[in-house]
Amino acid sequence: MTDLLLSQVKVGGESQFGTDEYVVNLGPQHPATHGVLRLIVKLDGETVKETVPVLGYLHRSIEKICENRTYPQCITYTDRIDYVSAMSVNYAFALATEKLMNIEAPARAQWLRMIFIELQRLASHLLWMGAFAGDIGALTPFLYGLRERERILDLFEMTCGQRLTYNYIRIGGVMIDILPDFVSKCIAFLDYFEPKIDEYEDLLTYNPIFLERTKGVGVISPEMGINAGVCGPSLRGSGIACDVRKQQPYLYYDQVKFAECIETAGDCWSRYKVRMREMRESVSIIRQSLERLEPGPIEAKMPPVLKAPLNSEIYSRIESSRGEMGVYLVGDGTAKPWKAKFRCASFSNLYVLDQLTKGWKVADIMAVLGSLDMIVPEVDR
Amino acid sequence: MFTGENIIQIVSGFLHWAYAQVGISALAGAIDPVISAIVMFGFISVFVMFLVWMERKVSAHMQSRIGPNRVGPFGLLQTVADAIKLTTKEDVKPVNRDKIPYFIAPIVAFVATFMGMVVIPFDKGMVVQDLNVGILYIIAITGFTVIAILTAGWSSNNKFALLGGFRSAAQIISYEVPLVLSVVPIIMITGTLSLSGIVEYQQQAGYWFIFPQIVAFIIFITSATAEANRAPFDIPEAESELIGGFHTEYSGVKFAMFFLGEYIAVVVSSAVAVTLFLGGWLPVAFLGFLHLPGFIWFLIKLVSVIYLVMAFRWTFPRLRVDQLMDFGWKVLIPLSILNILITASVWLLLYGKGAQ
Amino acid sequence: MGIFKYFKDIFSGLWSLLVGLSVTSKYFLNFKAVTTQQYPEERLPLPARSRSMIKLIYDGEKDQFNCVACLMCAKACPNSCIKLEGVRQVDGKRRMTTFKLDFSTCIFCGYCVEACGFDALTFVSEEYENAVYKRGSLLQDEHAMKWVRPAQPIAPEEQKKETVIPAVVGA
Repeated sequence: MTDLLLSQVKVGGESQFGTDEYVVNLGPQHPATHGVLRLIVKLDGETVKETVPVLGYLHRSIEKICENRTYPQCITYTDRIDYVSAMSVNYAFALATEKLMNIEAPARAQWLRMIFIELQRLASHLLWMGAFAGDIGALTPFLYGLRERERILDLFEMTCGQRLTYNYIRIGGVMIDILPDFVSKCIAFLDYFEPKIDEYEDLLTYNPIFLERTKGVGVISPEMGINAGVCGPSLRGSGIACDVRKQQPYLYYDQVKFAECIETAGDCWSRYKVRMREMRESVSIIRQSLERLEPGPIEAKMPPVLKAPLNSEIYSRIESSRGEMGVYLVGDGTAKPWKAKFRCASFSNLYVLDQLTKGWKVADIMAVLGSLDMIVPEVDR
Repeated sequence: MFTGENIIQIVSGFLHWAYAQVGISALAGAIDPVISAIVMFGFISVFVMFLVWMERKVSAHMQSRIGPNRVGPFGLLQTVADAIKLTTKEDVKPVNRDKIPYFIAPIVAFVATFMGMVVIPFDKGMVVQDLNVGILYIIAITGFTVIAILTAGWSSNNKFALLGGFRSAAQIISYEVPLVLSVVPIIMITGTLSLSGIVEYQQQAGYWFIFPQIVAFIIFITSATAEANRAPFDIPEAESELIGGFHTEYSGVKFAMFFLGEYIAVVVSSAVAVTLFLGGWLPVAFLGFLHLPGFIWFLIKLVSVIYLVMAFRWTFPRLRVDQLMDFGWKVLIPLSILNILITASVWLLLYGKGAQ
Repeated sequence: MGIFKYFKDIFSGLWSLLVGLSVTSKYFLNFKAVTTQQYPEERLPLPARSRSMIKLIYDGEKDQFNCVACLMCAKACPNSCIKLEGVRQVDGKRRMTTFKLDFSTCIFCGYCVEACGFDALTFVSEEYENAVYKRGSLLQDEHAMKWVRPAQPIAPEEQKKETVIPAVVGA
């Protein structure tokens, strides 16, 4: 398998100094926290000529496994598709199943789902910020991001019992209602957290070294982005309005006020700014949702065994932290899906890495990879 | 009173009495420097151990966590534990290495930086050898580290270590120029190259050189962190994702020597910065009532400058190699030359032709 | 002009570097604001709903496990970790005889606890230090998983679930 890939990377170009090109392995074990991604990089001195990602080191056949599990049991596997942002994937699958079977979740469940998905978006962006800054060389924001993320995970643990793989958003509603003191603890966290975003911006955004590393580096032009299937904050950094929450609103996103964060330059710095602004917007969404929470049931009335209609299929998409997460389900009249396919943002976003790093230096590979917010379990499933 | 001069007098009086007892008073001139060098060596070794602990604690508290706190009180003996670990590690050597340069490179790196401490005055008269070409000597010594790094990269028989060594050598050579140029205005003003002389000039003048020469101070600290291969200029060490630094093929004690050599380079440059810009052993003006001996002031200032260097590492991202060279040649060198011109013009305007 | 931009860039760069230094120095000077929990000495209690360790509830008064071997948990488990057998006793009631849960494949999703209608399985949040030396020790039977509910009033914040038994059971 690897020989096949290596043979595709042609070595032996010529430069004006008569230097040779050489092929280097940025191996599956990275100091950076992206996971087990292998990059075969063809270099000419310090300049990158070609980057070939080798995937599959984290493949767990989740889609195949889901064909042998009932719909509720599949939700436990969706946690592991994107473990940094598990609530979003839980909800993507729950939404697809609800559309397939015509189930509607009650209002309180929808508001709760919205609160938890936005909290999850915050947690995911905090981890991304830490990893991105760590790739660039600033090691301190990683710990600041994790410190804040711990508090969000405490909120999650208080509610559903787990810190990473929640299994909280179920088909037809949520697993269990929030505790009475959740609202006050959540508001206390948001009041604590909002000034911290300003701190992170102080530390990074206008830092001249950070600007030199990220401004003008890895520019995704709008045409390149759309052709390659880039989605999410990576595409919003190039000026294209592609937020699924605005285009095809789900939950109650059409009833809360939030701005879609768009920057036009398309480089790593724009993508960084988009995500920092998205953190602020998420805080505002959570505050609005907490105000509109009303008592009520948290799960729809459903038959004890959920069966999809015969010959039914659905593709539904949501905006997860990384971009568009789509779930394609085919139902065959039984309680297990005939096919479940997950369209993950990181897999599409990874495609542009080669085009973005051609002609740049080795250090820019890490900057671009960090700014695309790529998570390997999403790529490999 | 308890000052540095008194201590020196007491100790040298005792030593000379001891020589007289043994009957080697004639050799006093030869043995005194050796003893002071040994004391300096001992002090610096302990100080570097303290520094490693300090770096870990400083980085930890900046990151909202506790650093080492288990080994010894407040984790002070953590470096001892690290040293024991490094010395008992297996010395893995590449088979096709160049044996003698491979062995010598870490020793040169360690010794060369140590030699710089010989001229640093901790107090009036508390210096191993007060050369009257002190600064020139230190600048010449920093050139040695380039040899050590290139030798290490070449002898490792590893093309990536060689590339890392080249980059590191290019970085050090480029940043020596602004290092020297930022010191030139001070030499112009004081008219002496001796470090003790510079501190005494600051004592007479009544102000520290950091105030008129703040630009030179910033350039000096930046170049000194680049000389020591520390962040934000630590490409040779941190780009180990792809290309290992020059010390990839070293393990155990040899690696420890490179590592300690880097810390001693930090200490030497910070000590020089304190002497040149912050008034060496002079007390802080408004705290003079504390009557602390001079070397205590020196140590306080030294630790503050070292804290600044450590804060650089844990706050700023890393520069890419070509941006690093751009920054050195296109920003630091023009600024330092400009600084020299402005200092010279202002001096001539204020004091006319009688300037030293 | 180029020369003014050169100096302006230098000054603004220097200013933002100083701002960054002030952020980290602020955390450094605030010595007590560390977020480290020094683990073996400080063991903070986990929230009541923590999905830490699954236990079989043993009723001290009736001197038997609550489990009736209805197999709902075994069907609900996505990874088929639970194997159990039961027997119908002389008074017509079913009781469990053996119960095995393989914790090496368990993902702590909680479906078994939710599926059980007889209050036989529960999560015990106090027991989270479950590392073992041998992998075989992770296959626990009913003796290792036995747990007696302590006689305590239910904590006032703990809310009961408001739904019927959820649709987790497979076909």
